[in-house]
Amino acid sequence: MRQWYRIVFPKNYLDRRKRAGFLFVLPALLFFGSVFLLPLAQSVLYSFHKITPGGAREFVGLRLYEKVLTDPTFWRAVGNTVQLLLLSVPTTVVLALAVALGLNRIASLKWRNLWASMYFLPFATSLVAAALIWQWIYEPVYGFLNYALSFVGIAPQKWLQSLAQVLPSIAAVSVWVRIGFDTMIFLAALQSIPGEYYEAADIDGASAWQRLRYITLPMLNAQIIMVVILELIFNFKIFDQVYATTQGGPAGASQTIIMLLYDTAFKFFRFGDASVMAVFVFVTLMVVTLLQWRLLRRPVEY
Amino acid sequence: MAASPQAGRVLSAAAETSTSVTRQVHLRWIIALAVACGAIVVFFPFFWMAVTSLKTAPEIQRVPLQIAPDHWLNFDNYIEVFKREPFLRYLLNSAIVASIAAVSSVVVSSLAGFGFAKYRFPGRDIFFLAIVGILMVPFQSVVVPLYVWMNDLGLVDTYMGIVAPDLVSVFGVFLMRNAIEVIPNDYIDAARIDGGSELKIFFLVILPSVKPAIATLLIIKFLWSWNEFFWPMVVTSSPQMRVVTMGLMSFTNMYFIEYNLLTAAAVISILPILVIFIVLQRWVVQAVVMSGLKG
Repeated sequence: MRQWYRIVFPKNYLDRRKRAGFLFVLPALLFFGSVFLLPLAQSVLYSFHKITPGGAREFVGLRLYEKVLTDPTFWRAVGNTVQLLLLSVPTTVVLALAVALGLNRIASLKWRNLWASMYFLPFATSLVAAALIWQWIYEPVYGFLNYALSFVGIAPQKWLQSLAQVLPSIAAVSVWVRIGFDTMIFLAALQSIPGEYYEAADIDGASAWQRLRYITLPMLNAQIIMVVILELIFNFKIFDQVYATTQGGPAGASQTIIMLLYDTAFKFFRFGDASVMAVFVFVTLMVVTLLQWRLLRRPVEY
Repeated sequence: MAASPQAGRVLSAAAETSTSVTRQVHLRWIIALAVACGAIVVFFPFFWMAVTSLKTAPEIQRVPLQIAPDHWLNFDNYIEVFKREPFLRYLLNSAIVASIAAVSSVVVSSLAGFGFAKYRFPGRDIFFLAIVGILMVPFQSVVVPLYVWMNDLGLVDTYMGIVAPDLVSVFGVFLMRNAIEVIPNDYIDAARIDGGSELKIFFLVILPSVKPAIATLLIIKFLWSWNEFFWPMVVTSSPQMRVVTMGLMSFTNMYFIEYNLLTAAAVISILPILVIFIVLQRWVVQAVVMSGLKG
């Protein structure tokens, strides 16, 4: 407390310097406090209240949690989101790793940069634009994908309009958008592995597979974990792609958690129910992030 | 001929090395080819979007599908996009919002980065940890109260409302702190001895030494804000406040989509980002690798 008193009423030069330091960080603290911490607390508060569109609040305890967490619609959205995760996260990470390993083997810097920027381009476009371009490619009658598949004798598919294919189709868009980002992170990490390790492995007569298994992958351990977690978080919050294309359809087959949260809050104005979902999303992602910190602190084994 | 077995061994060893060298050369070409094919597949949707935007409505409904447009210089769809929707206004809105977000992010983040990196004050490390902890809070978890506040403050449907949650990002504070940390303290002390105030040191010593970090943050923040969709959709209500990602959505509906117009609009929305991307590629890649932090 005394320290703070001396910052508010500085006595000497050192106090003034401390005060300067605090004043420099103050705008950022105020921003994050008011845009994230306070609203988060309020979300928790809202989740215990029934709120009418007029703004009147009534404390209802855990009733809204009971209502949302026993609602099959909610669990269907959770299930769809998890399915999307399971489809897109491993695909993205494995493909990105393969592309990064391949790019790393290309000797010509000019060509490597060209290919790398082509992989990277989707990341720079908005998710809405990406999803809409793909919706056109998926178009059942005039779309390019069915046209291309007709050459290998595959009959036209309905893709986004099919109950069975809608999730894989949306997952493919996420893979397309994210592959470049993950590749960049892997490539940067690959280029920082010291060449001596591979020279030593060559002298020992290690095969290409052994070099990958015993040198490259262990050296990328931290980046792989980081990328997997980032992809989990990104895909858990999936909204733009779904909203732009299927709006959760057909028949709720692509309804995701954030889609449901958005509809609940801003279509039906049930802020209390939406806040229960907001708390659910926050807690889930917090657990995932804490898990990441635990995993990353584990020393890398060579 | 006593030496012959040995000579034979040497020869066969040489032959083995040469086959393994050719195999390596082959492998290199196969890898390069695979990487190139993948890149072309990834790039294809952009090509397809551009080609579709040059076709007329009857052209895109031809069976069997025809790849090339009849006229490569048919820009009617682009003109129609601007006629049908106030697309120029959407572009302007996005540019305003993204620019404010980028500049404010640089100002607030570098101030905070300086404070965290070069000063000691009570609670400094706790504050910094708290800011990093914000990474765990998904924006969707705070969107309902934020909307209620914006409503109470009368900021719904204003630029200030759209840009409010985007003004600073955790990534920016983290980036600037790391960049400022490596500036030698001697420089700062020298400036103090010359009688510079702390704020003057910030402007004359700190900011000029972290130009690369500033460029990185400006670019990535502009890109993020330009592509933002969820919050602008929540907080705007009138058509003239829409940003460009929402503008794209006005060319879709559940039953019938004019893809020739939609792709033209998509090209327009991507073009500014593409220009930034090509001109400043080195910075963008650096920014993205460092932004691995953003959740």
